Amino acid sequence: MPSRVFIFLFCALMPLSGGTVTDFAKLLPKAILGWDAVQKDAVYDRQTLYDYLDGGAEVYLAFDFKQVFVRKYSGPAQNEIALDIYDMGSSAEAFGIFSCDRQDEEAGIGQESEYGPGLLRFWQGPYFVSITVGGDEKEAEKAILALGRAVAPCLGPPGIKPGLLLCLPPAGLRPNRTSFFHGDISLNNRFFIASENILGLNRDTNCLLAEYGQGQADPAHLLVVQYPGEGQALAALRSFLRSYLPEGLETGAAQTENKKWTMAKAQENCAAIVFDAPSREQAEKLLSSVQFPKVNRP
Amino acid sequence: MSKIITRREFVKGASMAFLGAAVRFPQESRVGPQTARVVLIRQERALDATSKVNEDVIQQMLDEAVMRLLGQDSPAKAFSLLVRPGEVVGIKSNVWSYLPTPPEVERGLKRRLIEAGVKEEDIGLDDHTVRSNPLFQKATSLLNVRPLRTHYLAGISGCLKNYIMFAESQPDLHPDSCAELGSLFFLPQVKGKTRLNVLCALTPQYYGRGPHHFNRRYVWAYKGLIIGQDPVAVDAVGLQLIMAKRRQEFGPAQEIPPVPKHIQVADRKYGLGLSDLSRIELIKLGWTEGMMI
Repeated sequence: MPSRVFIFLFCALMPLSGGTVTDFAKLLPKAILGWDAVQKDAVYDRQTLYDYLDGGAEVYLAFDFKQVFVRKYSGPAQNEIALDIYDMGSSAEAFGIFSCDRQDEEAGIGQESEYGPGLLRFWQGPYFVSITVGGDEKEAEKAILALGRAVAPCLGPPGIKPGLLLCLPPAGLRPNRTSFFHGDISLNNRFFIASENILGLNRDTNCLLAEYGQGQADPAHLLVVQYPGEGQALAALRSFLRSYLPEGLETGAAQTENKKWTMAKAQENCAAIVFDAPSREQAEKLLSSVQFPKVNRP
Repeated sequence: MSKIITRREFVKGASMAFLGAAVRFPQESRVGPQTARVVLIRQERALDATSKVNEDVIQQMLDEAVMRLLGQDSPAKAFSLLVRPGEVVGIKSNVWSYLPTPPEVERGLKRRLIEAGVKEEDIGLDDHTVRSNPLFQKATSLLNVRPLRTHYLAGISGCLKNYIMFAESQPDLHPDSCAELGSLFFLPQVKGKTRLNVLCALTPQYYGRGPHHFNRRYVWAYKGLIIGQDPVAVDAVGLQLIMAKRRQEFGPAQEIPPVPKHIQVADRKYGLGLSDLSRIELIKLGWTEGMMI
């Protein structure tokens, strides 16, 4: 227990503000519950992230990712824990990358977290942290959670979530199921829409995907995309209707093959789409409840 | 040129059509074979309860599958149709730390290459450094072997994606869901050299999470190997298996990992092989429980 208190105090007195992720090397534990740091710590940036993440780099590059600090810990039977601390540039981005892959139970670490066998994910300030093990998850569970608790206080103060979240209607919103992202890779991995980028998503677009509905029934999904300008929002709406909902070109709404309703509209510099609402009325109600951010006009 | 496939196709239950319709290139442009043979072999004893690989069983599976694939009655005869004595052969493996090609499979292939007259010192085994590996630079034949898993961008990582290390720049192949992976098979170091594709479905991964796209919750002990000479057909069968597992675990709306268009592009644009399941002769051998496809 004293060592845990020491780590907390040490980190609390030395939050990483204004430094780089390299500074974590001094702050983080070299050993935890019998697992020892091995190899040299590594740092990857936007140019070198491909060397570290096989196939996953684009997911991070679609956000404002800056650098990742990596430390590996070796434990029993050659099992290895990988600690990754991603500097996402801002707390909104850290929340975003965390939110896109969320499905396990809250672990009470950092601002928000989740733990499922072999994988701890949390965010704190501008940092997103992943701690994972490739082998026996049961054997590594206590060390993974202890490491997470040791890392979180070293990440500095909490940050704020994306302001766009305020546009979501609260009624019926399923907790912990809202994702914030920018690109179509993130959208399609969470909720496949189309094989092409029909909404014109890129690093300049801010997107929310939220789930609505009660109980065990399949949820309705609300997608809100904020574009740099009103013209882009309108163009995206037209593109979506042409490719996805051609029978709704005039009205913006149609009943799809699963007997549920899809409805889309553009307002201000945003496009909003409800997928799979149980009725047209419910789709309309949800869509009309979106609090679209006002565009500042001269 | 390309048809946009939307979520609604899956809702309609028309996702199988995805395999044939995702990319519309004129089929008449195909000049290669009009059918492909793929062998799916499974053995319950291929893995023990801790997923430890049984090397003897793996060798038997490889032998039986390649014999059946090539219509021969012994492994020696079958492998002698793939390589000639005195050749330099590269085994393009996969070292991804979370789910690498099992060494037992690599050794099984190497054993048979040696028996077919290839000198041990003329067999290269590599992944990340194939471009600079002298054996791969001299290789006249390649064997393509890797595990089956999902991939954030490409939908699945199979035999087509396994050759990405032959590219000068891997990120250049990533846009548009890695659609152009088929082009790798026309690089000078590769073109016309692939003799066998082995897609290891011993513990396939049907879903990925976290930065490394891996969590053991999403692999299962399928205990199979998917083997063929056509990498497109092998991957098309692998995709079917992943889709079947995802359908079972997540339901029809999540059955396709987004978005495996590279398999169809390899067929329709590059004429590299066949992605249309109706033209693939799938021979199933061995353990049938939980076959899924």
